[in-house]
Amino acid sequence: MFLRFVSQSIRRSPRRKAMTVAAVAMGTAVATAMLGVMLDIGDRVNREMRSLGANLMVTPKAQSLPVEIGGISYRPVSSQDYIPEDQVQKIKSTFWQLNITGFEPVLKAVASLSGRNVPVEGVWFRRGLRGADGSALEAGLRTVNGKWKVDGYWIDDRDRNDDKLDAMVGGAVARRLGVKPGDTLQLFGQQFTVSGVISTGGEEEDRIFIRLEVLQRLVNRRNQVDAVQVGALTKPEDDFARKDPAKMTPKEYDRWYCTPYISSIAHQIEEVLPMAAARPIWRVADNEGKVLDKIRGLMMLITLAALASAGLTVWSVMATTVLERRGEIAIMQATGAGNGLVAALFSTEVALEGAIGGLIGSWVGLLLAAWVGRAVFQTALETPAMLGPVVVGAAVLAAVAGAAQPLRRALLLEPAVALRGGE
Amino acid sequence: MFWTFVLRAVQFRKRRLTLAFAALAVSATLATALFSVYSDIERKMRVQFRGFGANIVIAPSGGEETVPLTAVALAERQGAVAAPFIYSVGRVESEPVVVAGTDFRRAGPLTNYWRVDGSRAAGPGECLVGANVAAHFRLKLGQKLELEGVPCTIRGVVSSGGAEDAQVIVPFDIAAHLAGFPEGGKAAASLVQVRADGERLASVQAALAKQLPGADVRLLHAVAETEANVVLKIRSTLFLLTALILAITTLCVSTNFSALVLERSKEIGILKAIGAAEKKIAALFLSESLILGVGSAAAGYGVGLFVAWWIGRQIFPESAAAGIGVDYGVFLPVTGVTLAMATAATLAAAARIWRIKPAVTLRGE
Repeated sequence: MFLRFVSQSIRRSPRRKAMTVAAVAMGTAVATAMLGVMLDIGDRVNREMRSLGANLMVTPKAQSLPVEIGGISYRPVSSQDYIPEDQVQKIKSTFWQLNITGFEPVLKAVASLSGRNVPVEGVWFRRGLRGADGSALEAGLRTVNGKWKVDGYWIDDRDRNDDKLDAMVGGAVARRLGVKPGDTLQLFGQQFTVSGVISTGGEEEDRIFIRLEVLQRLVNRRNQVDAVQVGALTKPEDDFARKDPAKMTPKEYDRWYCTPYISSIAHQIEEVLPMAAARPIWRVADNEGKVLDKIRGLMMLITLAALASAGLTVWSVMATTVLERRGEIAIMQATGAGNGLVAALFSTEVALEGAIGGLIGSWVGLLLAAWVGRAVFQTALETPAMLGPVVVGAAVLAAVAGAAQPLRRALLLEPAVALRGGE
Repeated sequence: MFWTFVLRAVQFRKRRLTLAFAALAVSATLATALFSVYSDIERKMRVQFRGFGANIVIAPSGGEETVPLTAVALAERQGAVAAPFIYSVGRVESEPVVVAGTDFRRAGPLTNYWRVDGSRAAGPGECLVGANVAAHFRLKLGQKLELEGVPCTIRGVVSSGGAEDAQVIVPFDIAAHLAGFPEGGKAAASLVQVRADGERLASVQAALAKQLPGADVRLLHAVAETEANVVLKIRSTLFLLTALILAITTLCVSTNFSALVLERSKEIGILKAIGAAEKKIAALFLSESLILGVGSAAAGYGVGLFVAWWIGRQIFPESAAAGIGVDYGVFLPVTGVTLAMATAATLAAAARIWRIKPAVTLRGE
């Protein structure tokens, strides 16, 4: 009987019901789309910001102070500190390895080119590695500074080859020497082929980049690197992150350790490379965090506003449908239905409409969020699987809440008064 | 007579109309808030990117070792922030250390990312030291440091994660003197850092390159492009979301307004029975909707501006201090959209007025 009543009510005025469901669906779609975009935009922007270059610098725990201007060291080369090249890969075995988007070992030297000292860096350009668990991973300059502009070709150093003498030349050096891709260059008494010219605007323009293994052989520093640049996706620093880890309680320490703050990632790199010190490059790390915080906060507040309005929409639609059906309620009461029964009937109907509208709306909303993701970031956004069910639940709640107050009023009204059409 | 009718209709169905009003006002609020945030977001995001420091560097080119100091004034004439830097090697306790010199007042906005313990600037006889220098020589804030035999008081300890960590930073003139750089009319720097507004970056760079033929005026691609990229992506995300939300709320509100007409078939039947022309009845409903539309647009605009202002103040407190943060220019589009919404929905539903047969409707079918 109860079910028949509900299904009858829906069948009797399909058009009105469809409008109600549509309104709920639209509200839910707004909410889902906003939430979907909001939940993932931080990650997306974080990845965009990686084009700024490294945000962590790993250097040997130095006994002496580096004396370096524009990449040229003015310290006598007596005691060289270094990081062993075969240890560098351990950076990818830390707890936050998936957040480390790239790393690049660097060996520095100075070459004399037409009477001028030019810093030369031996690097991995893009090296394929095997992780500890056998998985393939990539490292090298291009994983850290993927967006550098190159005239010519990147050096392909997927395999070690310390006989191949090729070089990538910074734009300023190339302009000064008048070299183009394909020309040759005398470095350390050897003939190098210029494979490409790099223009970044930064200090890289004054440098020459060659294969790490070649530079190691030429300056006789096998298996040694001077620094490792690391690019990592991090969580913006908050007050908690600024606490001194040495003074944390074990529980706080665990929380800090298991959050991808730049400081905890640096700490974990120092754990696997005990001979090295990892320091955040604040110019990148700090500002990256600030910009991310702003974007996250902005999206959250806009989403809140949209959620509030979506909730209000669903609420008002439901209140309207109940208001319209006062006559029906009065007839039920007049024919002897108890208030509880009438309330149960109407709530079921309203909840059903909320659920159907919510389902359609969350489906449409997820599609819209994915569309925004593709249109702006070229990849679909990743939305948590829980989002759909949660939104549908919220739609049902908003629908029932919207119907509750007018329903209570209608039930309290004398049937005779309501049927006469009065307030 | 006509207006009495309209006003009475509003009065009589207060509750029902309040709900319609609320729905429309909410969508107007959302539209105002989103439009305001959207129209202002680019400026505010660009302010955030100032923290990254310079986006143009003027470096010596060709055989030159220095950049003329006039570059600073030239850049400032372009409306950019610029500061000169000098680097040389000095001695502290007979060990070599890099000595950097800068004009602290000018360099302030370019070195926001320095984490400093103490003061961010040093005067004559004072200096800042990098964190590694401080650790290496076991120096503390307020102590004296012998730099090339001349003592200076340590005013701050800088840690940046970059080259500054291993430098002693002193006022520009002192560094120029130490480095033996020419002074007076031929004064020079090792390099000049410039921060130009993101939108004018290319033109500032071009102008400087033209005025300084002897120097290498470089755009820092990483900073400039990340800024442009992130700002663009946030803008387009907001734009798409705003458009989506507007489209959806418009649909939602228009169904609401159609319902306002549809549920009054009986009334329409009576009006027709006593001889009212269909056009007149349509006009009646339309004016009712327009009153609602104007009212809710005004209310929604007010609330929306407040929401936008509040969001701006929460997220970008530093720009809210400047008194900006809401865009009054969004009133016309918002009102226009709201009224168009109400009119279109009412007219679409009003087509039914012609089809209603009083006898049938009043019988209750």
